[in-house]
Amino acid sequence: MKPAPFQYVRASSIDDALAGLAGHGDDAKVLAGGQSLIALMNLRLVRPAVLVDINRLSDLAYIRQENGTLAIGALTRQSAVESSDVIARLCPLMAEAIRFVGHRPIRNRGTVGGNLAHADPTSELPAVAVALGATFVTRSQKGQRTIAADDFFVAPLSTTLASNELLTEVRIPVWPAGQGWAFMEVSPRAGDYALVGVAATLRAADGVCQSGRLVYSGVGPRPIRVAKAEQALVGCSSGEATFREVAEIAAGQVEPSSDFHATADYRRDLVRALTRRALMVALDRCQKGA
Amino acid sequence: MSAPAVKDHPIHRRWIGQSMKRVEDPRLLTGRGKYIDDIVVPNMAHAAVLRSPHAHARIKKIDASKARALPGVLLVLTGAEAVEQTGPLPCFANPPVAQYCIAVDRVRHVGETVAAVVAESRYIAEDAVDRIEVEYEPLPVVVNPGDASTSKGDAVLHPDRGANNIAHQRTLTFGSYDEDMRSADVIVRRKVRWPRSGAQPMETVGAIASYDEGTRKFTIYANTSMYNYVGWLMAVSLKIPAHKLNIVPTIAGGSFGSKIFTHKVLVLAATLARACGRPVKYVEDRLDNMTSCDNHGSDRIYELELGLKRDGTMLAFGMKVIDDYGAYLQFGVGHHGNAAAQLTGPYRIKSARIELTAVFTNKCQQGAYRGFGSEVNNFALERIVDAAADELGISPVEIRRKNFIQPEQFPYKIPTGNVYDSGNYGAVLDKALEMADYDGWRSRQADARKQGRYIGIGLASCQERSVFSSTEFWFWNHEPGFALTSSPESVNIKIDPTGKAFVTLYSPFWGNSPETMATQIVAEQLTIDPSDIEITYADTDQGLMGTGPGGSRYTVMIAGAIAGAATDIKRKLFKIAGHFLEASEQDLELRDGRVSVRGTDRGMTIPEIALQAYYFRLSLPDDCNSGLDARFTYDHPYTTQPNADRTDLGVFYPIMGHMCHIPIVEIDIETGQLTYLKYVAVHDCGTVVNPMTLAGHVRGGTVQGIGSTMYEHFYYDEQGQLVTANFADYLIPTLKEAPPNIEVGHVVTPSPFTEYGIKGGGEGGRMGVPPALASAVEDALRPFGVKIDTLPITPMKIRDMIRAAQQRKG
Repeated sequence: MKPAPFQYVRASSIDDALAGLAGHGDDAKVLAGGQSLIALMNLRLVRPAVLVDINRLSDLAYIRQENGTLAIGALTRQSAVESSDVIARLCPLMAEAIRFVGHRPIRNRGTVGGNLAHADPTSELPAVAVALGATFVTRSQKGQRTIAADDFFVAPLSTTLASNELLTEVRIPVWPAGQGWAFMEVSPRAGDYALVGVAATLRAADGVCQSGRLVYSGVGPRPIRVAKAEQALVGCSSGEATFREVAEIAAGQVEPSSDFHATADYRRDLVRALTRRALMVALDRCQKGA
Repeated sequence: MSAPAVKDHPIHRRWIGQSMKRVEDPRLLTGRGKYIDDIVVPNMAHAAVLRSPHAHARIKKIDASKARALPGVLLVLTGAEAVEQTGPLPCFANPPVAQYCIAVDRVRHVGETVAAVVAESRYIAEDAVDRIEVEYEPLPVVVNPGDASTSKGDAVLHPDRGANNIAHQRTLTFGSYDEDMRSADVIVRRKVRWPRSGAQPMETVGAIASYDEGTRKFTIYANTSMYNYVGWLMAVSLKIPAHKLNIVPTIAGGSFGSKIFTHKVLVLAATLARACGRPVKYVEDRLDNMTSCDNHGSDRIYELELGLKRDGTMLAFGMKVIDDYGAYLQFGVGHHGNAAAQLTGPYRIKSARIELTAVFTNKCQQGAYRGFGSEVNNFALERIVDAAADELGISPVEIRRKNFIQPEQFPYKIPTGNVYDSGNYGAVLDKALEMADYDGWRSRQADARKQGRYIGIGLASCQERSVFSSTEFWFWNHEPGFALTSSPESVNIKIDPTGKAFVTLYSPFWGNSPETMATQIVAEQLTIDPSDIEITYADTDQGLMGTGPGGSRYTVMIAGAIAGAATDIKRKLFKIAGHFLEASEQDLELRDGRVSVRGTDRGMTIPEIALQAYYFRLSLPDDCNSGLDARFTYDHPYTTQPNADRTDLGVFYPIMGHMCHIPIVEIDIETGQLTYLKYVAVHDCGTVVNPMTLAGHVRGGTVQGIGSTMYEHFYYDEQGQLVTANFADYLIPTLKEAPPNIEVGHVVTPSPFTEYGIKGGGEGGRMGVPPALASAVEDALRPFGVKIDTLPITPMKIRDMIRAAQQRKG
């Protein structure tokens, strides 16, 4: 379990990193926390010719509020998100979801940008990013561009990030007052890849649901937003009966695949149970926040 | 041999029974233990292995030219080349099954070694492995054990052993089985499937082999066991005389049975060292270990029957069992010998029958895993006892209590011929019920069910046989082959001139507590302070017979050996002290490290006596030679031969522990997930040497048992690919999957036959969990009429069963 030979480039600036990536096409990989990449390299399932190490780019590690937007630097460690008061206040859904990312030692090393760019369809942060309408800021030698989270994720381990681009920042609208949330998932063991996860938000007032978001991990090649279920919430009484119906719609809408750890039927069961439960928790938080 | 004399056990003990901190821990917990990967030999090169991607194929051609051309590569060795120097690996089956350290001509499972590379570094070796080109001719793949009897042609793995894939087939009947079944009011039948799981020690298997051209001798460092028992078999494989091989043990980072022999790795490292003229280190990585080592456990399909009277009295227990042994037979069908030691559990069952069919398939061969097949029998027996309780409308507690062997019936001979030395099963059950608040939980369960919550209360009362004699390895054979009847354990104790005790063990550190056990027992015997005792491990050059840990034997056996050696040392202490004190030896006593004349203050400390013993020969009694040391080889305390037709297997596993596990769980019926509300494990393994380390064994074993029951599965697909060959797919429970508190209780029924009355306790936890948890899940899901007859019980399977039940209801 040793990686195939590769060239190692330690970037000391963003430009340095972009220069390292340029000209290698898909043969170059960015090394951030390395919690997924190194394991794949040791199994020789991934064999980059060039590894561009961005761990010295400390100016990419930050969490800050800018004009109604929460900005998270790509190199921010997941454990920093976990212990951040800013995140807890401005993006409680992410604060809840981050605890499901691997184990604490993994989060100490793993980064927000690395998790998103890796684009594992069972991962938590991609579902959160899609649910919250996040925007990803990227850089290449040609300049900067932004990609909406919903346009970023394509397929397992595949994004619209070009091979010469570096993800530098995630921008999320600051949490609107009175919005409830819940992140729930079921995995074989604590910290494992999720079988199914759900990122839910909900706004309700006077016993009526106004809007909600339901985005799932583990049920498709990328985070899956179930618009029909979201629409079914609008205008209905906020409570278990509605959520039960919405959960049924969500379970019917998703098209999960079967693998060794979970059949499609089981994943649908989990979508059904987690949707209802997540909406109940989101409603409770919505009411407490109102 | 009739039953040995009943031993008197001293009541007052200074060290035995103390929760002394482990002697091994300071160096291990501070990262200063020297494991195989920490050992560096001058000029050492590194090996990596090319593993078969096919489950079954002929090797047509191997082109290693690109690998050999890589700078830093010293050697690429194929099976055809290796076999010119090295013969087949040791095999305990008869007739043996040829298996080589590198496959010759044909691979029989995914992961089998096809070629090995030696290079200046492991990195280069793995790069070279990538460059070896192999042409395979795929052969039909056998995965389903049920197909073995009809396999033919190229699907037969070992054509030299017969025309199909049946490795061993035999029916043994004990007692008047047919008659008892005819007299039964009910015969309960059940099919049970125990899937393949395996030991997963933190450290894989490794060896560093050197070949000295001058002395023409191999030295092999290895994290193995049994080197002082059957290590010479490795020399046979290497085609060298046994005195030209020295195996040096290193501490092992866990074994759970999987490092009992490690013949593939040792022989491979030595073969490579000989071929390339450099010392070679080969340490398996996790893929090597999971696909090709000795850590795969039993893989059985049972059809069970239990005959009972209507009042619940058990009469006869029988089974048809198919065991999927994989591609080779390392320990024969010894696992079924092991299970026969406690075939009928703690119950007064009069007769039994086993119809065994062991089969070959294209999977890694079975090795040894904590329980060695008896844990599977526990599961099968307890499942059918639960089924009988259900069918007869008797509570699971009462059906067990009604059939328990009673304390006054020991020593008790079970139908297979094995004898249980002692026990008090009712007391263990009572203690477990009390600790678990069983009745209280029954009423809480009823309340919860009204609220739509599904609480389940499980119960299993199981045996833990300990201290094997070796007949179990061969008595299933039609021809015994090598009819081993000894499994001794040795020790050497030297008191040096300053009075310190040097204790040499002939078996390895395996992750258990051999140093702590030996220290406490030597301290007890010689009244020496534990801090004055040093433990070392002997290599095979220095080796006396040592069968090693396994089958929960080590503490019992080393206690016997230490008592033997200490008796000789005490005799000499008394002789010398008596001489100096001018007192009769009958008037002397040993207390707190001092031999004194009873009732006086006259005495000599052990250091004072030792100094005389070493340096002042002319002051010693005339018949006393210099020095103060003793060695002792302790034989199994109670073992007999099986009879010729195997209607009586003899006494082979008589030191019988017992346990009762009561898990209380809640199941989330929407997701199938399980939560532990309580977990109680009460064990009786006789006199306890160290309650803390024993509780560690019980808790660790319990979590390991949870792994086998709820999570772990070596799953081969239809092509014979091992789907779960990594720790993302092979799921070992972590602390978060364990019950928050495993409450451990003890009942002490000393063995009448062992030193201090100790029984083994090393495997107990894992041997009780599977049936206990299965019954808890079944109990929780009783409203759905669900039966748990296969493992692992994953949340997905629980959901599948609930969904099916809900659909049945409509």
